[in-house]
This record gives sequence, C-alpha cells and structure tokens, in this order.
Amino acid sequence: MAISLWSKARAAMLWAGLAGATGGCVTPYVPEVPEATQDSLVVNGFINSQGVTTIQLTHSLALTSTKAPAAEAKATVAIQAQNGQRFTLTENPAGTYTSASLNLNPTLTYKLVIATAMGKNYATDYLPVKTTPAIDKVYWKYENDGVQLYVDTHDATRNTTYYRWKYQETWQFTSAYNSLFRYNPVTKLVEPRTEDIYHCWGNTTSTIITQTNTARLSQDVVQKFPLVFLPASSAKLRYRYSILVQQYAQTKEEYDYWETLKKNSESLGTINDPLPSQITGNIRCLSNPDEPVLGYVGIHSVSEQRIFIDRQELPLSVYAVFQTGYEKCQLLVEDRCPPRSPRLPPGVTEVFNSPELTMVSVGDSSSNRLTSCKYYGAFTDCVDCRLRGTNVKPSFWK
Amino acid sequence: MIKLLTRYLYPVLVLGLLTGPLASYGQQPGALISGDFRRLSFEQFVRQIEATTPYHFYFKPGTVDSLVVDVQVTSQPLAAVLQQVLRPTRLHFAIDAANRVYVTTGAPIQVELPADMFQAPLPGAAPRSSPTPSAPSPQDKQPLAGTSEFKVYAIGPRQALAPGGKATLTGRVQTTKSGEPVIGAAVYVDVPPIGVTTDQAGHYALTLPVGRHNVYIRGLGIKLTKRQIMLYADGRLDIEVPTDATTLKEVVVQGEQTRNISSLRMGVEKLDIKTIKAVPTAFGEADILRVVLMLPGVKSIGEGNTGMSVRGGGTDQNLVLFNDAVIYNPSHLFGFFSAFNPDMLNSVELYKSSVPARYGGRLASVLDVTTREGNRKQFAGAGGIGLLTSRLTLEGPLAKGKGSFIVGGRSSYSDWLLQRVPDASLRKSSASFYDVSTQLNYDLNAHNSLSATGYYSRDRFRLASDTTYRYASIAASAKWKHTFSSKFYGVFTGTYSQYDYSLASARNPTTASNFAYRLAQKGVNADFTYYHSTRHTLDFGGSALLYDIAPGRLVPAGDSSLVIGNTLQAEKGLESAIYLADRFEVSPRFSVYAGLRYSLFNALGPRLVNDYLPGASRTENTITGTTSYGSGQVLATYHGPEGRLSAKYMLTDNSSVKASYNRMRQYIHQLSNTTTVSPIDSWKLSDSNIRPQVGDQVSAGYYRNFKRNTIETSVEVYYKVMHDFLDYKSGANLFLNPHIETEVVNAQGRAYGVELLVRKNEGKINGWLSYTYSRSLARVNTGTELINGGRYYPSNYDKPHDVTLVGNYRFSKRFNVSLNFNYSTGRPITLPLAKYYIDNTLRVYYSDRNAYRVPDYYRADLAVNFEGNHKVKKLAHSSWTLAVYNLTGRKNPYSVYFLSQNGQVNGYQLSIFGQPIPSITYNFRF
Repeated sequence: MAISLWSKARAAMLWAGLAGATGGCVTPYVPEVPEATQDSLVVNGFINSQGVTTIQLTHSLALTSTKAPAAEAKATVAIQAQNGQRFTLTENPAGTYTSASLNLNPTLTYKLVIATAMGKNYATDYLPVKTTPAIDKVYWKYENDGVQLYVDTHDATRNTTYYRWKYQETWQFTSAYNSLFRYNPVTKLVEPRTEDIYHCWGNTTSTIITQTNTARLSQDVVQKFPLVFLPASSAKLRYRYSILVQQYAQTKEEYDYWETLKKNSESLGTINDPLPSQITGNIRCLSNPDEPVLGYVGIHSVSEQRIFIDRQELPLSVYAVFQTGYEKCQLLVEDRCPPRSPRLPPGVTEVFNSPELTMVSVGDSSSNRLTSCKYYGAFTDCVDCRLRGTNVKPSFWK
Repeated sequence: MIKLLTRYLYPVLVLGLLTGPLASYGQQPGALISGDFRRLSFEQFVRQIEATTPYHFYFKPGTVDSLVVDVQVTSQPLAAVLQQVLRPTRLHFAIDAANRVYVTTGAPIQVELPADMFQAPLPGAAPRSSPTPSAPSPQDKQPLAGTSEFKVYAIGPRQALAPGGKATLTGRVQTTKSGEPVIGAAVYVDVPPIGVTTDQAGHYALTLPVGRHNVYIRGLGIKLTKRQIMLYADGRLDIEVPTDATTLKEVVVQGEQTRNISSLRMGVEKLDIKTIKAVPTAFGEADILRVVLMLPGVKSIGEGNTGMSVRGGGTDQNLVLFNDAVIYNPSHLFGFFSAFNPDMLNSVELYKSSVPARYGGRLASVLDVTTREGNRKQFAGAGGIGLLTSRLTLEGPLAKGKGSFIVGGRSSYSDWLLQRVPDASLRKSSASFYDVSTQLNYDLNAHNSLSATGYYSRDRFRLASDTTYRYASIAASAKWKHTFSSKFYGVFTGTYSQYDYSLASARNPTTASNFAYRLAQKGVNADFTYYHSTRHTLDFGGSALLYDIAPGRLVPAGDSSLVIGNTLQAEKGLESAIYLADRFEVSPRFSVYAGLRYSLFNALGPRLVNDYLPGASRTENTITGTTSYGSGQVLATYHGPEGRLSAKYMLTDNSSVKASYNRMRQYIHQLSNTTTVSPIDSWKLSDSNIRPQVGDQVSAGYYRNFKRNTIETSVEVYYKVMHDFLDYKSGANLFLNPHIETEVVNAQGRAYGVELLVRKNEGKINGWLSYTYSRSLARVNTGTELINGGRYYPSNYDKPHDVTLVGNYRFSKRFNVSLNFNYSTGRPITLPLAKYYIDNTLRVYYSDRNAYRVPDYYRADLAVNFEGNHKVKKLAHSSWTLAVYNLTGRKNPYSVYFLSQNGQVNGYQLSIFGQPIPSITYNFRF
C-alpha cells in the first residue's frame, strides 16, 4: 500500500510539478509487439460436474482494438474421462460450446479437449473433480452506511479449502419520468402508452475475482466472508435488490491462477508498479507447448443461493436520495396551443420525431385532457428504462 | 691533480643530479656483481664490470697501474666489491646516482651536493670534502619541512649507510598554503618503481634502498613536486607541496599518471571534485552520484533517480560510505539531488571489482565518499546559489594549526517554487530538504591524530495536503590514527548510521495515521597497515556492526482515527568480520594482492520466527508454527570466507594486464518491488528464513597509456554470479507485512560485460569516452517458485549498450565548456501484449517478465563555466556556471505505463526532462 502510495505521490509530483517545470510530458506509447503474440486462444468456462458445462472459445485482441473478440467457431470440444468416456459439447451460438447436463464421477479425473477447425489440438491435463459444498447462508448487515453482503459456508469433509464466488445482482429501478403517452410517428397522433418503460430490472455479474481459502484454519469453515458492499445511496437498494451467489470449490492451482490474475489486473494503470507476471492457465497446445493459451478450466459443481433485500427492510428515511444515474435529466416543455385537431402543432411534431427525445406527458396530467397547451418530453435515456435494463420481469422475481 | 679533476667533474655531477629521473638509474638492486676477477689488472676488471652492469668508471690510469685485482664474488653490490679490491691501496671510490664510479687517491669524491649548499655558507665553513658536516640529530627530532626541490635532504645519520640495505622514509604531505594534509597523493620514486599513496592524514611510508632518490609527489589539487633525498637510514620527511595557485581547491592535477597501469587495483574509479563539478546537471548543482552514473559499468535505473546498478547488480548492493559511515539513502527530493554537499567533498572512489578486503557487506560495489579536511592556516569559505538550492561551507584552523574544522550546509527552497506553480492542488504541496556535514581534525602529536565527522540530512514532502513523507539520515564517525612505528600504523574507527522515514496521513480523520520506520547501525573498525618491506605491505583488521531495525509502526493519529495500531517486531543482527591482506611485489613488474575476509552474521532476538513447511512455497498457508527467541539469543548464523585476489603484470612501462577475483557477502536486503528506488523502501536483515546474498566476480583487464601517460586506455571484462538476492512474488505486499519471507523468492543472477575506456586527463581537451557492453540476467527457479519458466531473463538493470562521453574544453584559465553525451539501450519492461475477456471482464495478457525494452535513451548536456579574475588580493573568488541539461530536448522515457480506457488498453510514456533545461549557479569562495 505504501509503495503504491509513494509511486503515486512521486508520479503525481513528477507529472504535475517538476514535469511541468522541466518540460516533462506524457506522450502515447505504442510498443512494437509482433502481431503473432497478440492473438491467442482464450478458453472461458469450467466443467460443471453436476450440470451443464458451457465453454466459450474466443481470441485475444490487440490492446487498442475496439472490436469484439472473435469467436473460435466450428471446433470440436469434449470432456474426456480417464477411463475413456467422452462427452462432446455442441456449438450454439458460434464459439459457445454446451454439454448436456452431466453428472461426473468425483473419483475419476477428466480433461477438456479442443480441436479447432484449423486442426490444432488443445487439452488440459486430467483434472480432479471438486464437489462444491452447499452455501450455508448469504446474508447482509447494514453497517458503515450501506449494505454489506456476507457468505457463510463450510465443508465438514475438509476437502474444499479454496473457495471462489461469482454473483449476479438484479435490482428493480425506474427511469426518471414515467411516460404515459407516446407520439405515433405514423399516425402523427399522441396516444396512451401501453408498454411500461418506467419499471425495469437492472442486472450485473461480478467482475472482480472473489475468493478465499481456509488453509490456515483448523476447520474448513468460511464465516462472514464479505462479498459485496452497497452504499446506502446505491440505486440498487431503491426498490428491491436480489443477488444470486454461486460458489465454486477449487484446486490450489486454480486458486493461485485467479489470485495472480487478480493482482495483475489491479496493477494496471499506475507508474512505478510491481512487475506484473505472465500467468499461464492449464490449457496447452499439444503441437506447440510454447503457444500461450489463456484461461483456466477447473472441474467443480456449483452451489447457489439467492436472497432479496427490500427497501423496507433497510433503515432508510423515506426521503433517502439515491444515485440513480438520472440526476442530470430534465423535463422539457413545449408550450404551444394545438389547432382544433388531434394533431400536434408543427414545431412539436418535429421535436418528438427525433428518437433522442421521448414524450412524457401532455397537458395537465391531473386533468388528463389531450388538448392542452403543454407538451412534456425528455431525453429518451431519461424516460426509457430499457436502455439501462429490461422491463421483462425476471422469472425468479417474487 | 685531484683538485683539477674535482673541479672538472663538478658541473657534470650537478647536471646529473638535475636531470633527475632519466639519469638516476643507480641503486637498482639488480646491479649486483658476480664473477671471477682473479689476477686481472684494474683496467681489465673495469671493462668486465662495465660490460655487464650499467656502471661507468672514472679514474686516472696512472693511479691504478700497479693494482692487481684478485677477488671472486657472487651477487655483491659494487660498493662491497670495490671495498675489497681497493682495501690494500690508498685509493678511494664513490658511486653517484647515475652509476658513475669515481676512483680517486687521497679522499673520496663528494657525489652529491650537501643539503646546505644553496644556503648562505658560513664564513670559513668546512671544506666540501669534509665528512658529514651537518649533524643529523636535530633533524631527526624535528622532521624536515621539505620545501625545496633543489635541496638534497639527508635522511638518517650518514654513518648508518650500509650499501644494499633498505630504509623507510615516512612523513606527512601537506599543502603550503593551508597546511591541510594531501590525501591520496602518490608518493613514489621511479627507480626502482616504488610508490605509495598518502592516507587520510596525509601520511606516507616508503621503504627504499638506501641511497639517492628523487621522490615525486603527485596528487589532486597539488602541483607535481619533487624532493631529492639521500637516504641513509629510517627517517622522516614532511613535505609541503604547493596547490595550484590559480585555481585553489578546484583545479586538480590528476593522480599519479601511471596509476591506472601500475596500480594493483582494477575496476576502481576515482573522481575528484573538479571532474564532478565540470559535469552539467539538471538543476545546476554539482552532483557526485550523477557523475558516478556516467562511469563505465554504472547504470542509472531511471532519470531523476540516484539508484544505481553497478555491473548488473541491484540497487541495494552498493555500499555507500561517507567517511566510513554507511548512508542508506544518498538522495534528496525524489532522487533529483544527491545527498552530498559538493563543497565538502574531497574525493569519491568507486570499487567495481578488486574490492579491498577491508570492505564488505554489499555485493556489487563500494562507493567511498570522503570529505575534505579544513584549512589549517586560515579561515575560508565557499558557497553557491542555484535555482533550487543554496549552500555554504566554512573552514579554518583549530588550536593554532594543529587541527582544523570544516562545516557545510545546504538547503532547498523548492517549497517557494512549488507555491508559484499555477495548480491549486500543487500549491498545497511542499517539498524541501537540507543537510549539514562537518569534519574536525586534530593532531595530538606526530604519532596520533584524531578526526570526527558528522552528517545529517532531512527531507520532507507533502502532496496536496494529504500524506506527509519525512526521511532523515544520520552518519557519524570518529577516527583515531596511531602510528606505532614508521612501518606500522593503525586506524580505529567508530561509526553510527541511522535512516528513518515516516508517513503521516491526515486527510480523512477516520483513517489518519502515522507510520514510522527506523534503521540504526553502530560499528567499530580497527584497520592496521604494516609496511613489512618494499615487497610486502600487510593490511589487517576487524570490524563489528550492530544493526537495530524497527521495521514498522503504525499508530492512529487523532481521537477520531479508527486505524488499528500495529508494530512489527524489531530486527537485530551482528555482522562481524576479520581480514588480512598482503600486497606482494613479486618482481618490479609483477605484483599480487591477496586478501581474505571472513564475515559472520548473527540474527539476534528477541523475536518470534515463523516456521514453514519444508519444500513448499512459503505462504501464510504453509506456516507450521512459530519459534520464540529471547533477547540476544541467536536465531540464525551465517558465515563464510570472502576471497579477494588481484594480480598485475606490467608488460611495458606503459601497459599492463590485471586480473582479479572477489567474493562478497551481503546480510541486509532492500525491500522494494518497484523498479525505481523510493525513500520508503525498507531494509531487512537476513534471518532464519532469508539467506544472505553471495556474489563472485572475476575480471581481467588490459591497460595502456599513450602520449607520455596523458591518454589512458583500458579494456576490462568481467563475469559475475550472484546467489540468493531477493526478488518478489507477483503483487508482493511489503508494507507492514510481518512475514516478508512469504513475499520474496531467492533469485540467482549472472552478469558479464566488457568496458572500454579512453580517458585524457590533461590539456585543453580532457574527459573520457567509454563504451560498455554488459548483460545482467536473473533466474528464479527454486522448485516452488518459477518466473519465466525458470529460465534466465534480463534483470531490470540489463541495458547492453552504453556510450558515455564526458568532455571539457578549456578556452582559457577562466572559461571552459563541458559537454556530456550518453546513450544506452532502453531498460527491460514487461509489456501487456493483448487483451481478452474472461467472464465478460477485460483481462490483460502480459509478456514474459522483462521480455521487451523501452525506447533507447540518449541525452546531451552542455555547461559553460566562467571564473572571475584571479587576482590574489580579492575579497572572494567567484564563478558562474550556465548549464543546459538535455540539450536536444529528447523525450526519454522515464516510465512507461498502461491505462485501461473504454475497453482499450493504451500505453503512455512519461518523460521528466522532455525539453532542454537551462540553469544558472553562482559559486563563490573566500
């Protein structure tokens, strides 16, 4: 911590002060790196020992690329047991390979084998099957002006030791303005809105690597492991929040891999950093062992638990303010009296023809009369919550 | 008849004496006589002698015609042979310095001028031929103050003259003007080639064959001086030498011209303050470390940073000594300034290989910084005013010239500068430093002298009123030099060094905290030198160092702070060593230095030490238990011999080859997982879990001088192996970590290279040009830890090609121009190669460690120095230095880093000195 503090201090100093005084400057730096080193196969996923395995094959990209990663399509992907048993995965969509729901024998070892359309063969070593213990409890406490989510778990057989979690958060939210009317560009008429674009559900998956181990403990018990912290002002807590926590048991090798990846990723972007290290996953190119293959495929089952948090459960004032991301939204008013027809005045038509603006309301909403001298609109992003989530209620939402 | 001969010979003799070194071939120990001279006439005998030795005989044939020689001798000096031959006759002989032998009747001829010849002779003085007119006894009690080049000083009682014997000449060399001792000056005779350098107090001891010698004194800041002596027996000659009158302390006559070829040392660079001052720097102030970085084999680890790598070693492998006290952080203000006040310095010596046995404790180099002794005759001062700093030094005599003092101080006003930067957050920042140093000298008597030095430096900086960093260095040493006899002296030194830093974070009251680190070291040394004979000089001694480290203490600051205090266990250790070394002159051409140092390290309690599962990577998970050690209990012991060998063979008078082998052991390690050095890097002692570093180096070199030794050239090659230096696991956390051993791995290293140097020390154009090809490789393959698959990879200091030019052109005595040029290969870097997505998260794929390089580095600097006029009667002498750093404005990368921006990973390079930086400094002296 102190080291990076010093680095930052020095960097800031050099940058702003001495650098300014001495003609120091920052210029773009494009390293000369052979193109061949930029394109590697990326294997994303794990072998689910009790369920459906999904493996994504993509390629890495040049650092400055703005493209989406290219999928490795038409490959043959299979899970192969040491006893010769083989489960082939099917591709759908391109680059994504899915197995049937499997139930692997935890006393056997398995490997993932990949044969690309270009004829290259990749494989992991034979890996043990780790069976993930159940999550004891996912729970939260209101502390430090926010909601801290915790997880408890244990393995009475002492076989797990290395735990990793991923999670999906879902929360209900509303856009800035509830649009009751819509302008129909075909009929050029204002009509009542039938689809709710005010209530939506937001969704994210975890991006940081969350893991721990119990190697130093006398029992294989994880207690009160902090997963996520939500500040009280988080929009996720405004109506209702849900988190699905997925727990994985890992081997030590897999744990070390993710730990190194985590440290590498955190070091990007400061000046005097510790040296990042190259990390190699557990997939090898059989014809060229030196070819880097990115990703780590472990074999384990998944334990899940979902909880909900309602706003009413939180010790929040009714006047609590949330960082909704809609703070900059403004209601626009077009103040023109209409002609004696249901059509809009010419200027107003043009305004609501633009996809960037969406009508919110017409006239005095309390009178609910269509013939008014006021037309209300806002930027579409402030009105249509579907731009930030989905208005389809998730199946698990209670 | 004889009188006529004498009269005729006198001018010849005088001529012979004054032609000095060219003719004085005489007392070469090799010119011994062997042979069967039975039944020969004297003339036949003379012809035989003249044919086999350099002697020439002068005699009147008539006086010897009746003489028959009948002797048989083996390896006898001529004098002894002649005594035997001439015993039955009334003939006398005399041999002069030019190997001329005068055979006379009646009385022996006087072959040199009496010491008092040019002093007003007393009326009726004894005739010149009378034996030994001057009584030697008062001279023995009161050493001669040798001030004349033309006088022959008789050393020892004349009757003691034993042909072929040897005697030791001792004394002190001091300057005429200030009476300061001249340190490190070469005192030598060229035939036979015997020389020594003066020590810290200006003392020297030369063991020479008895007889006539021309003694030369060459050194920094003094004129080449010659003294003629007639050595009869052991005696003392103090020598006063003039300083270079026009330049006072700043102009320097380089060391002994042939030192680079004739000295046993290799891989040693000595810099005098004049060279240091001539090199342009970024902020206009002379900076020793900046100049050291321009020497072959020394690499900077980053611009604006004083961290250095010597021959591929790490930044913590350099022993920086300030008058024998260790300095742990020799830099100020983010490393932009070195911590030494240039006006205080005498010289800087860097040992890259052939490290003397008396030094130890670091793998790569020893940087020996010595301060000057104050002026013993009058009060004087010097100073300078620059853009960021000012400095002042005062000096003068103590106790009527028996001692002297010098005290210097330096302070920055960068705070003032920061206040003027148009950036609100920066205006709340501050950065400042100061340092003071002093040296006192006192001579108790001719056999005992005392000196004491002190050094204190302090830095403070605060960034945008958030975290305040402070660090301070203390170094102190006291020395007592005792001369036991003219051949044996000892120096007893006590040292104290301390380095501490603190971080105060105050912005957020709930997280406000103070962190402090402190390292203290107490040491005693006893070093003895014994001049056994002209062929053997013995150095021996011992040292003990007690380390006491408080590795970290975090305390909450203020009542509302929620920080939990934490204090790491103290570390203690005792490093002791004994050594013995012999400089052995096997023959005039071949000499050997053989030294052995034995060092022992005890890590001491009280301490609680973690035990780890053997054979597994040390992590918190593999701790099996702890062992508790009581106060003073030894928890780990490491020891081993350190051999130091070097040999020199003179091929010709101006060329030589040398070879050396060194082993070094290091028991203290710097913890830093950034490539640059920062003041809050801490030092850690070896303990049960961290082994000492061990390094071996072999090197060989060829040295040749041209143009009457004004141009020195050398080629040195070296190969080095380093064991168990510390490297870090990825993302190692070194801050307040109670088990550092889980974050580090033992790395092995090897380094090799060739260094070419052409150096011209004199003349209007002087300076040096060097080219270095060097590699520095590291490997981590401990079985449990692998970096780059366990293969060798370039270390952070691997910059294969390096070209440095340091040039001065003196237009006149008052105006000179300096130009520097430096090119080096860019340093290695671990690059992000590609990006990829795992679970929809952007990840970056890195290359092998240090597989790529940042762009090459080059820079040119220019400085112009104007001296004020050189009138002797002047209140103060002054000079102006105008310098431009980075003349071409090249944007050398200081740092390369990457930022993830909108799904793209963009690289940036930061240049600190991205445009020419002019500076102006005013220096004065009174």
